Amino acid sequence: MDFRQAPFLYILGSCVALFVIAQALFFLRRAWKQGLALGLPREKLRSVVTSSILFTIAPSLAIAATVLALANALGVALPWMRLSIIGNLTYETTAAQAAMEGLGATDGLSGQVTEPAVFSAIAWVMTVGSVLPLILLPLLLKKLQSKLGGAVSGAKAAWADLMSAAAFLGLIAAFISRAIAGSGSPEKLGDGAGFVSLLTLAAAIGSMLLLELLICRKGWQWLTPFAMPASMFFAMGAAILATRLLPEGITQLEWRG
Amino acid sequence: MKKTYFTLVHRWGRAWCLASLLFMLCIPLSVSVYFNAWPPLQGLMKGLLAVIPLYWATAVIEVVSYAPLMGSGACYLSFVTGNISNLKLPCAIAALKSAGVRPNSEEGEVVSTIAVATSAITTTVLIAAGVLLLAPLLPYIANEGSPVAPAFRQVLPALFGALLGGYLKKQWRISFVPILAGVAVLLLAPAVQAGILIPLTVIASLAGAQLFYKMKWVK
Repeated sequence: MDFRQAPFLYILGSCVALFVIAQALFFLRRAWKQGLALGLPREKLRSVVTSSILFTIAPSLAIAATVLALANALGVALPWMRLSIIGNLTYETTAAQAAMEGLGATDGLSGQVTEPAVFSAIAWVMTVGSVLPLILLPLLLKKLQSKLGGAVSGAKAAWADLMSAAAFLGLIAAFISRAIAGSGSPEKLGDGAGFVSLLTLAAAIGSMLLLELLICRKGWQWLTPFAMPASMFFAMGAAILATRLLPEGITQLEWRG
Repeated sequence: MKKTYFTLVHRWGRAWCLASLLFMLCIPLSVSVYFNAWPPLQGLMKGLLAVIPLYWATAVIEVVSYAPLMGSGACYLSFVTGNISNLKLPCAIAALKSAGVRPNSEEGEVVSTIAVATSAITTTVLIAAGVLLLAPLLPYIANEGSPVAPAFRQVLPALFGALLGGYLKKQWRISFVPILAGVAVLLLAPAVQAGILIPLTVIASLAGAQLFYKMKWVK
């Protein structure tokens, strides 16, 4: 039997999933109670849950799909575990490649791991490479946030709100600018800035602005939690339509490679 | 009350971080013990040295960058479950916006924690379902030739475009500075990693907003 598909690894993967869910439920239950104690309406908290589920579906399917991108080399169970806790595809791919190269497996992820020692080396490198935030957070988070809290509770609440919005916009801008002018992987088509990324971006922005306008003008407040995920799905749909309907010369146009 | 809740969140967060650290280290340990496969130390060190400088530097930047943007509970949860910049953080921002609460208030703390916890559960369940139940279908979705593959390649522009659309109505004046700064950086270095680009655009955005505020272009 292929050791990468051993039932033991699936049991371990299930434990990882249960651990993550247990932790999320722990915080969810306490935050919910606190929200009610603060006087937040139950409907508002439910709407946060609903919109968060909707918001998460498409990126989660994308993450689930990336498990299979690593499955050829590593089997399904190890990528599943690593992408469920801390990991993301870029980290895990780089770590697996580095571990394999460290042990002399030169074909890297394009081949299949046949040695359990290489497999365990990959698991060690993926894990040790990604644990630092779990050491830093307990040491730094409270200090970092208490400094921010002090700034916000002062008289300049409007200024603090503006700065907070500016910080979020800075983060959003990093990804927006990558869709406009970032390069992708040289071997892969469609992951760099180009016609389709720009069209998707424009569709998402346009759809969101339109929905916000409808909410504002028509008073459709029920639409508010769905506006963001609906715009995201609309933009992804636009990417599919464009790729199917327009000539390849346009849809494969990537100006940064 | 406020102080008590925040204090408790940090106490819980620290305990879960420690538990997560031990739990994570048990994964490769279990693999090594079960298969009786201990990697040669020299090869392992080569692999670690190739990734640790970048990963650990990025981890420091991420903790410092994201901590002020998210609530405490959301932050502790996000760093355990991963996919922060592309999923947990935008999810928290979207929830804060749709709930109409300020990010740095106690209501914001509660809402962002609920959003990130829900997102973490949804992701974990969907990944598990995808792996265990939909494995035959997922290669079709992920396959380069699949009709829906272009949509998955464009998840980030779709997601962040929708978020930007939400901000443009009220904050359009300060939106352009960080985008132009990001594009300028990418024109010089098109392959720059998100971990480096994010601090640069955040700094440009804060500086631009501060300037506009002083010039009374924004309130």
